[in-house]
Amino acid sequence: MAAAAVVRGIGSNLSKHLREVRLHLCQISAASQGSRDFIEQHYVTLKEANLELPILIRECSGVQPTLWARYGFGKERSVSLDNMNVDQVAKALESLVNAKP
Amino acid sequence: MLRLPAVSRALAGAAHSQGSIAITNNVRTSARASSNMVEVFVDGKPVMVEPGTTVLQTCEKVGVQIPRFCYHDRLSVAGNCRMCLVEIEKAPKPVAACAMPVMKGWNILTNSEKTRKAREGVMEFLLSNHPLDCPICDQGGECDLQDQSMMFGADRSRFTEGKRAVEDKNIGPLIKTIMTRCIHCTRCVRFASEVAGVEDLGTTGRGNSMQIGTYVEKMFMSELSGNVIDLCPVGALTSKPYAFTTESIDVLDAVGSNIVVSTRGGEVMRILPRLNEDLLKYENILSPFTHTHAISQLFQGSEVGAIAGGMVDAEALVALKDLLNRLDSDTLCTEEIFPMAGAGTDLRSNYLLNSRITGIEECDLMLLVGTNPRYEAPLFNARVRKSWLHNELQVAMVGHKVDLSYSYNHLGETTQVLQEIAAGTHPFCKVLAQAKKPVVVVGSSALQREDGAAIFKAVSTIAQNSRASSGVEEGWKVLNVLHRVASQVAALDLGYKRGVDAIRKNPPKVLFLLGADADCITRADLPKDSFIIYQGHHGDVGAVMADVILPGAAYTEKNGTYVNTEGRAQQTRVAVTAPGMAREDWKILRAISELAGVTLPYDTVDEVRRRLEEVSPNLVRYDDVEESNYFKQAHELSKAVNQSLLAAPLVPPQLTVKDFYMTDPISRASQTMAKCVKAATEGAASVDEPSIC
Repeated sequence: MAAAAVVRGIGSNLSKHLREVRLHLCQISAASQGSRDFIEQHYVTLKEANLELPILIRECSGVQPTLWARYGFGKERSVSLDNMNVDQVAKALESLVNAKP
Repeated sequence: MLRLPAVSRALAGAAHSQGSIAITNNVRTSARASSNMVEVFVDGKPVMVEPGTTVLQTCEKVGVQIPRFCYHDRLSVAGNCRMCLVEIEKAPKPVAACAMPVMKGWNILTNSEKTRKAREGVMEFLLSNHPLDCPICDQGGECDLQDQSMMFGADRSRFTEGKRAVEDKNIGPLIKTIMTRCIHCTRCVRFASEVAGVEDLGTTGRGNSMQIGTYVEKMFMSELSGNVIDLCPVGALTSKPYAFTTESIDVLDAVGSNIVVSTRGGEVMRILPRLNEDLLKYENILSPFTHTHAISQLFQGSEVGAIAGGMVDAEALVALKDLLNRLDSDTLCTEEIFPMAGAGTDLRSNYLLNSRITGIEECDLMLLVGTNPRYEAPLFNARVRKSWLHNELQVAMVGHKVDLSYSYNHLGETTQVLQEIAAGTHPFCKVLAQAKKPVVVVGSSALQREDGAAIFKAVSTIAQNSRASSGVEEGWKVLNVLHRVASQVAALDLGYKRGVDAIRKNPPKVLFLLGADADCITRADLPKDSFIIYQGHHGDVGAVMADVILPGAAYTEKNGTYVNTEGRAQQTRVAVTAPGMAREDWKILRAISELAGVTLPYDTVDEVRRRLEEVSPNLVRYDDVEESNYFKQAHELSKAVNQSLLAAPLVPPQLTVKDFYMTDPISRASQTMAKCVKAATEGAASVDEPSIC
């Protein structure tokens, strides 16, 4: 699966570049389905590679699924995950890992 | 005040009770076959009710309020005040509406000649021995006797005898008793016996010489004792320590109970409970803030760390986090420890009371681990007791044996027991497997230990196993964490580190204590020339060791967001203005950020709340609980935890009632609470009270 490969590729780079990752999603809406699947399938692998990094998963009804990344000095970036599937969510995470803050 | 509507409304399904004393309607009409329902008439209007409904509940369903003193919908029925007498057509005598179940075809006349005569008579009897204390009585204006005598009493008196008087009883430093005013409704007796579980109050004597009290000089020793003040319909039991009222929430434990704060002259006089309902939002007015200049040079190039205490609101927490993050520091800690291993606080389901407080009434088996809910979260305990009384809830406990006001299966206090249950070898596992809706509650005090991660792993395993074996449906959550401090859940939602280990490992040059008074870090743990800033409202331990003290606002003095142990975000409101130069905590942090050169991007409380939403959207969903999932993932990660359980037994810090009164900086600074502790240890007579009339 493309998402699994991307997650493996990110590996522990997550904690090297980022200070905190936040994933906002809705528990039931269709637009968050990809995000929910991503957590079900890949959160554990991602966390095991980055045990010290806070990967905050905050479910809230009716929100637009969003991925936030915090870099050094409080800089933050966000990407909307609206209607994305699992692979696209993984790609979004990768883009945030590689982005300059 | 009870107001009788001019016309009783016809049945519409929904019942309205127009009382400021919110009387909830306990009559539920289910969707069963209508042949089960009984047809009754209230003043000629037909209404269908379930068999077993009392006359009083039937009238309430239609919208007719029947006056009463002894009836309370949360207590058992006594029927001794006789104020609720109503005439039934073609019946020889009036019936007590609160106790009499309706029969088919009855016509209840709530305003007939006989009913009115009965009410006037009862009122006359009640007032015959009642002292003429209205001008000096605390209950004046909110007294049931006053209201009902205006509405239903006679306009002239025939009383020419002398009134009896009763000695005042000393039942503790919280309750002022003037027993002459007591009308013997026995609400306090029933409350103490049923809800609080302590059978201290009772009636002595009969007729004119009847007295309510403890008979022997005994303190009414319960953590729920103050509630009888709200229950008493007259001024017999009032608040001893005690307007302007403000609706707010209680932050002295993590339950977030809804309260009304009554104030006078800038002091908080008393706290009353209120029902958990939707609230309107207020506007907040910014005030200009000035502060000293020394802070501005402080943050240049230094390592900064912060510790957040137990009563900090979410706005201050997010302001502090943003400030420190912009200074390139991630060392933000809470005083309360929560295991960092495994999923930690990534998944909300790991640290919330997932079954919710209302969910306790649905469960059939509860396992408590290392907690004494009676003193850590008394209202949670009252709910468990209610379930134990009415819903056949079985409770088992792993931890030190304590008196919970209900009987439970004490499995032991060693971690060995916990291990055996997790492994499936303990005999209790069979009981757990048969439960249809099990709930496991681990107290946050158990997680403060060094083997907290291992305890959490064991509890998580137990929860997963019992969920699998009970076959309960997807939506039911088994794992619950009962927190003890009001700010913990919000801090975990925002991504704070738990416990001060991070500070111990990397001692910073500048330490920011935000209401941190639990003495976790002392000067000895920090480098020699470190600088400590303390911001809080009751200068306790933290203020003593600080170099700079910034006066913040307490929860009654600010609009703050707190998240309770279920994950429900609620707000406090300003009841009194903060004294002197004190300001709201987030505003102080915003000012500091400007001086430090990293100005935070918000100026109003709405902007702070928008920032809260950016970090964790549930923080601004007031009065709602958001469902959290992914227990499987959390459990998988917890399996990797390699810690072993220590042999020390699981003993919660609060064991008896004397530990209950002084657990946080506000209580430690309170004279009334000090009197309570003294009375609890030495007896009620040991507390000196000025004589009050």
